[in-house]
Amino acid sequence: MFNRFTKDARVIVRDAVEIAHELGATSVEAEHLLFAAARQRDPVAETLRWHGLDEDGLRHALDLERERSLAAVGISAARPAFAPHVSKPDFAHSSKAALEGALRAAAERKDTRIGTGHVVLGVLRARRGTVPRALGLVDIDQEELATAISAVT
Amino acid sequence: MIDLATPEDPADGLAAVVALRRLAEQLEAAEVERAMRTGWSWPEVAEALGVTRQAVHKKHAKRLIAAGVELRRR
Repeated sequence: MFNRFTKDARVIVRDAVEIAHELGATSVEAEHLLFAAARQRDPVAETLRWHGLDEDGLRHALDLERERSLAAVGISAARPAFAPHVSKPDFAHSSKAALEGALRAAAERKDTRIGTGHVVLGVLRARRGTVPRALGLVDIDQEELATAISAVT
Repeated sequence: MIDLATPEDPADGLAAVVALRRLAEQLEAAEVERAMRTGWSWPEVAEALGVTRQAVHKKHAKRLIAAGVELRRR
């Protein structure tokens, strides 16, 4: 799957695993790919930042999403603190779907290589789930963001 | 009795399921660690969680050893 990925896109995938691990997640989710993309120094990261999605902005959006989702069933809970997991997190469905989405985004644009922009476009293809909800809660228009990312990809 | 609110929008209800699963995972990591730090044994923790000793050991032993938690064998 990764043979068509550029070096930078591979870095994002690798960083997403690290970020998921640092955050104490047991699996790599689509939002971890976004964190990894926001951490780079390229026009894609610049575009994310311009939309307020630097690492802090992304964390804030995800915190809001978590808070609101738990509140929907009457629960309010701090994030429990614990010693980090030792084993590397696995790729969850959301991140696998995002990487498949990256391939589709590239195919639609007739691009042969998969770059960081395609990975972000893959994440932004999701219509439901944690990332779309988090972006919606901080008033980010997902379609508009995808168009902006596409323009620098 | 806990009054579990029913969200109006199924999207909120389903997102709550996702958030609760993650919270349960993290809470398990935190509470197993707390129990082991205060001298509980693996069989005690397993019994409290309603799972086998093997399951709880497999899931948490490496992490707690790496964190320097002194573990009771039984």
